[in-house]
Amino acid sequence: MSGAAAIEPAAAEERPLARAWRSVRTTAAKIARTRHGAAGCVILLTLALVAAFAPLIAPYAPLQAAQASLAPPSLGNLFGTDSTGRDIFSLVVYGTRTSLAIGLGAAVGALVLGGAVGMLAGYFRGAVESVLMRVVELFQTLPVIVLVLFTVALFGSSFWLLLVAVILAIWPAEARLVYGQYIRLRGMAFVAAAKVADLSTVHIMLREILPSAIQPVIVQVALDASVAILIEAGLGFLGLSDPNMVSWGQILHVAQDYMTVAWWTSLFPGAAICIAVVGLNLFADGLNEVVDPRMRGRLAGLQP
Amino acid sequence: MLRFILFRLLHAIPLLIAVIFVVLLMLQLIPGDPVQAMVGDFPVSPEFRAAITKQYHLDASFPVRVYSYFVNLLHGDFGYSYQFQRPVLDLIVETAPRTILLTSVGFLIAIPVGVLIGIISGTTRNKRVDHFWTSLALVAYGIPIFWLGQLLVLVLAVHLGWFPTQGMGPLVSHAHGFAWLRERAHYLALPALAFAVHEGTRFARIMRASVADTLGQGYIITARAKGLTRWAIIRKHVLRNSCLPLISVAGYVLGSALGGAVLLETVFTWPGLGLLLVQAVRMRDNMTVVGIAIFAALAVIVINLVVDLLYAAIDPRIRGSS
Amino acid sequence: MSAASVESAPLLSVRNLKVHLRVGEAIVRAVDGIDLSIEQGESIGIVGESGSGKSTLARAILKLLPNVELAACEGEVNFRGLDLAGISDPALRDLRRHHGFAMIFQDPLGYLNPTKRVGAQVAEAIGGKSFGSIGDRVQQLLAEAGLPSPAQIARRFPHELSGGMRQRVMISIALASEPALLFADEPTTALDATLQLQVLETLRRLHRDRQMAMAIISHDLGVVAELCNRVYVMRDGKVLESGDTVEVFESPKHPYAAQLIELSTRHRRHAAPVGSKAVP
Ligand SMILES: Nc1ncnc2c1ncn2[C@@H]1O[C@H](COP(=O)(O)OP(=O)(O)OP(=O)(O)O)[C@@H](O)[C@H]1O
Ligand SMILES: [Mg+2]
Repeated sequence: MSGAAAIEPAAAEERPLARAWRSVRTTAAKIARTRHGAAGCVILLTLALVAAFAPLIAPYAPLQAAQASLAPPSLGNLFGTDSTGRDIFSLVVYGTRTSLAIGLGAAVGALVLGGAVGMLAGYFRGAVESVLMRVVELFQTLPVIVLVLFTVALFGSSFWLLLVAVILAIWPAEARLVYGQYIRLRGMAFVAAAKVADLSTVHIMLREILPSAIQPVIVQVALDASVAILIEAGLGFLGLSDPNMVSWGQILHVAQDYMTVAWWTSLFPGAAICIAVVGLNLFADGLNEVVDPRMRGRLAGLQP
Repeated sequence: MLRFILFRLLHAIPLLIAVIFVVLLMLQLIPGDPVQAMVGDFPVSPEFRAAITKQYHLDASFPVRVYSYFVNLLHGDFGYSYQFQRPVLDLIVETAPRTILLTSVGFLIAIPVGVLIGIISGTTRNKRVDHFWTSLALVAYGIPIFWLGQLLVLVLAVHLGWFPTQGMGPLVSHAHGFAWLRERAHYLALPALAFAVHEGTRFARIMRASVADTLGQGYIITARAKGLTRWAIIRKHVLRNSCLPLISVAGYVLGSALGGAVLLETVFTWPGLGLLLVQAVRMRDNMTVVGIAIFAALAVIVINLVVDLLYAAIDPRIRGSS
Repeated sequence: MSAASVESAPLLSVRNLKVHLRVGEAIVRAVDGIDLSIEQGESIGIVGESGSGKSTLARAILKLLPNVELAACEGEVNFRGLDLAGISDPALRDLRRHHGFAMIFQDPLGYLNPTKRVGAQVAEAIGGKSFGSIGDRVQQLLAEAGLPSPAQIARRFPHELSGGMRQRVMISIALASEPALLFADEPTTALDATLQLQVLETLRRLHRDRQMAMAIISHDLGVVAELCNRVYVMRDGKVLESGDTVEVFESPKHPYAAQLIELSTRHRRHAAPVGSKAVP
């Protein structure tokens, strides 16, 4: 049992952050060894590199409109140009930054908010639990996109507002997951042992339980990131994302009216969204395989 | 069972009230002039301003305004859209059935197809078949629903010309009876198909995982020991028990269908609730946005109630423990 | 039920059966070269400590292994002259449905479908006609397994029954095909002492009345001593010792078998007596 490690003296010496980091590292190594996980890692790393070195990769500045409009893909414009003569390849490359930023930012934000709420509700139970879980339920009562649209409608659509709106929409899933983990783990022997040893509540919650709960939580973080990217793309497509930032959804918004005459304006940004989302899901699949020991060595199918 | 239903209802009502309260609170937080926030980007005369302030108690304190909004709601008054020059409830009542039609047809295709694919890939002992379906479901899952709609339009409507590219029907229709139905189906086909493919792959994924889980259960071995055929085991044991997670996901999908509808209806200019919401957001018509949000919350709460009941109907262990 | 005649082949014969499971990166040799035979109408015991491979042996013989990855599964299994290794699916199903073999599983709760009424689950094992026409047969089977008021029990769900009742439902399901051979995997482990006695009594009665061959798996040597003519002592996937129950228990040749028997009898003296050690 993974919890048993928590009461070993050697492990207890380690700083909690160091321990969490070690857990993340070893898990990452295991993910890379699964089929889906390896494919996911390759996709995510490529996207991260594209985002980091966007100015080097993209031949044009994102908003530079020096080309012929609606030119089909060619050597000069790999993905063609859009209706205002911008190079779509450059737009897609720069759009990677926005999508990854939203994906990562929203997933981390949801992790912090949802994690804290789930942790408190699952550990303390009782009144804390009922109040917090009602709040979670409250936020799950509006469909994700409706909630985001609602926020954007009322407060406007700058990048940061959008990020907050997406976090508000997706954190309940994270909270529920962490809540379930804490309920499961708080009854275990190593937690009882820690209580007997008179360790502080904060210590037990963060140092004893958290390391054992972390793996399924990372799966959820990856899935959250993919949901966030899809929401941002949807908003961009509706023309409601931050007008000052290039994003894949926004390219599709511009492409909407020209799609029938210039397929390339729609195909490439759409494919980019698909690749990013599939990459995150593959990564999550690989992680799931690592986390869930029941699935290991299990044959698929129904035997006679 | 009756007690179970009552219990869930008692749970749902405070939730709905809380949602409305939060929505109004957010409306309150909008910076700037409350009258403009209410009517949107719309030039207002002083008389009109005074009338609105009086009607919605805009000069009163927040609790009073919440109270008056609730009283209005109980009278079926969702407010008035100054952009559309119509009561919000009218707008919702007109557009909601179209969205319900679109999503329910999509749903009715997605569920059986998703379940079938999930069961085939979950129970097959041929790894290639399983890989094929899981990969397909994964890729389809990554495709944004609006882009999928665009691709369908591009291929099936623009290039092949089988379906109209947008709208809900011809401007002037002379068809009656069966022909009318066919005409409607013609326009409905693409958006419903996009919805079905998008959600169907999600169902297939859930179902496959759930089937794999069920196949690891002891009672499947008992069923094998009874000498049941493969199909009988699937029908009598796998199907029913694997459906439990599917029901909650399906409920979630149906509840959040408005989210997908917002995007799909924009692609197909399908004049439903989603398109209305997008238009209202663009025009800063906050009364309509709030009305639709509350309606969406109501829909989610009702659907969750139905999901709970279905769960209890399928799993006797839940029925006993309420 | 004395020694088998030399000419007639045994009901079941197993030669050099190996089942190696792949668990993560490791390989578990759950069954590692086992020979075993059961005569018509005979009853044998299989004993051994937890994890010695008893359940895996039974499941491998009856082709009921769970969905685990196998590193190796080889050996000869012969049932009534049929080679089970290469048997076709329909022939295998036929054996399970009609007068072939059946199995009672170790954990009756997990092996009953939680969402179906018990009666329907028994009815499935009878197969063929609709529930209405075989309702009587279901009740008859439930009664035969020693359940009181079978008509009521049939309408309950597994979670509404006690452990002993569930075990009896499992027995009814196993009996539905009127098997020539019954494998009972720890049929009494989950039960308290009085229930144990009742279930054992039921099994003994069935064995006697139906001339049904039985293989009883248990780590309770008392149970085996009471019900079985011959016994196999297993450890780490291998048979250490086998032979007449009285002989093996009174003068075990293998030191491990001796230890197992010694421990068991010592424990028995302290615990409530379940029955005499005499062979029936
Ligand atoms: N589904 C499985 N997955 C992984 N390993 C398994 C599985 N089933 C059995 N094993 C392994 O095979 C070996 C034999 O297990 P088996 O269940 O046959 O023992 P047993 O003698 O029946 O034990 P018990 O008396 O506890 O029931 C054990 O080491 C066990 O860990
Ligand atoms: Mg066992």
